[in-house]
Amino acid sequence: MDCALDRAVRQAAARVISALAARFRDLDLAEDAFSEACLSAARAWPSEGVPTDPTAWLYRAAYRRALDDLRRRNVRVRFKPDPPPPEPTVEDGLADEARLIPDERLRLIFICCHPAIAPESRAALTLRLVCGLAAREIATAFLVPEATLLQRLTRAKRKIAAAGVPFAVPGPAEWSERLDAVLSTLEIAYSKAHEDAAAVGPHAGFADEVLRLTDSLAAMLPEEGEVLALAALVRYAEARRPSRLDGAGAMVPLSEQDPALWRRPLIEAGDRFLYRARNLGEPGPRALLAAIHGVWCARRSLQDPPPWPVVLELYDAMLAQRDDVIVRLNRAVALAEVRSAQAALAEVEALAAPQMEAFQSWHAVRADLLRRVGRIEESRDAYRRAIELAAGPGERAWLAARRP
Amino acid sequence: MKYLLLIYEDESVYGPDKAGDAMNQVVAGHMALSQSLGAKRLAGAGLQNTPTATTVRTGRGGVQTIHDGPFAETKEQLGGFYMVDAEDLDEAIAIARKIPVYHEGAVEIRPLLGEGQRKAG
Repeated sequence: MDCALDRAVRQAAARVISALAARFRDLDLAEDAFSEACLSAARAWPSEGVPTDPTAWLYRAAYRRALDDLRRRNVRVRFKPDPPPPEPTVEDGLADEARLIPDERLRLIFICCHPAIAPESRAALTLRLVCGLAAREIATAFLVPEATLLQRLTRAKRKIAAAGVPFAVPGPAEWSERLDAVLSTLEIAYSKAHEDAAAVGPHAGFADEVLRLTDSLAAMLPEEGEVLALAALVRYAEARRPSRLDGAGAMVPLSEQDPALWRRPLIEAGDRFLYRARNLGEPGPRALLAAIHGVWCARRSLQDPPPWPVVLELYDAMLAQRDDVIVRLNRAVALAEVRSAQAALAEVEALAAPQMEAFQSWHAVRADLLRRVGRIEESRDAYRRAIELAAGPGERAWLAARRP
Repeated sequence: MKYLLLIYEDESVYGPDKAGDAMNQVVAGHMALSQSLGAKRLAGAGLQNTPTATTVRTGRGGVQTIHDGPFAETKEQLGGFYMVDAEDLDEAIAIARKIPVYHEGAVEIRPLLGEGQRKAG
């Protein structure tokens, strides 16, 4: 039961909170009402059984709770809510969830990414409200302490309420201004799903969600290269999912993944998006990253040589646009293959900084390079740290197998 | 002559929502002053704290950008003001964008106290 409740809550959170927030124009109210609905579910479901459509149940319960809260507040309310949804009936099992709950996720993303919200808070707020990530997870993704992140969330929500940020879909003229934050948010949401290669964890549903949201966004903004590029990128990455773990559940690195296992229709969809993005002019950072994934996905079998030289060139182009530690780290991986592990290690060591201490990929890349240049003791230490910080069992298993 | 009197204080003394003893005290003072000013007082209002501020900047070439937070440069000086009744922040921003500046400048948007504060807690 606990497990069923947990799963239902995670599946429903984004959908229900977005719908309530859009309807009541109040983020705190939506979050609080949803939490209350979850508590009601925890009380009711063990005796009454799990409802046929848990999301619809939670939405109804949260909706009623939000109305109650508003009445209790006894203040002038500036909106006219629709009549409350009908009481749940036996026919609920037949009810169409999509019809009952308006899908407001894309709209809420644009609200959270309003330019009047501090840039560092926009993606965080969206991930919290639209994707239902825990504050701790978002803090890890942004490499900031959890307390800092909580402060940002509170401040952003207060600003939306107090400054009168409208709960409306912005006009097309304003889309591009909010786009970068929207895209970063989707990237982080997808990276959560991507970390979980076996798609068994709490964020497994994010992948389909991001595929769907990028598709809607590309339809809304067909002339934005970065939107098309992100749509391509997530399709390439998703296409490779069946090859990312071996039979024992250990991670398989990209260069050893068997192209025969890849989902061709997703790769073809990715190619189409990337082709359109390329025709729109100079590639942005996301188009370059999508191109790197595209180059890998063009491989037909493990006998084809890995495309490291092209990958390195593309990372060089990215670096010319934006000097970023993550780009440098990924470039070093390609550099090790094209030039030497020694040269790559020098680049990776140059990135050493307090913030890298908690950054898993840095330890993992460094550990591999140290092993390849024969600095075994240091390599063992770096592997230990990388294993400690690894996000999933597949990666832990792979790292443990390679540790000298 | 008409004059604009601008009030500067450390806003933190009134707390994050500008509610409580300090606020009550100063509001009583403002009410007493307004009464004694009579017809000399043309308009006046309190502002919500600076975390609710949004700034529309006009840079070189007329490029406008929107920022979270109050106006914080020292190069420019306060040159005027508008008080507008807008539907929401987007409309306020749209109006602020239209305010002419000769070269470069910024317009800080601040909601008045009592506006948008729909939450009674």
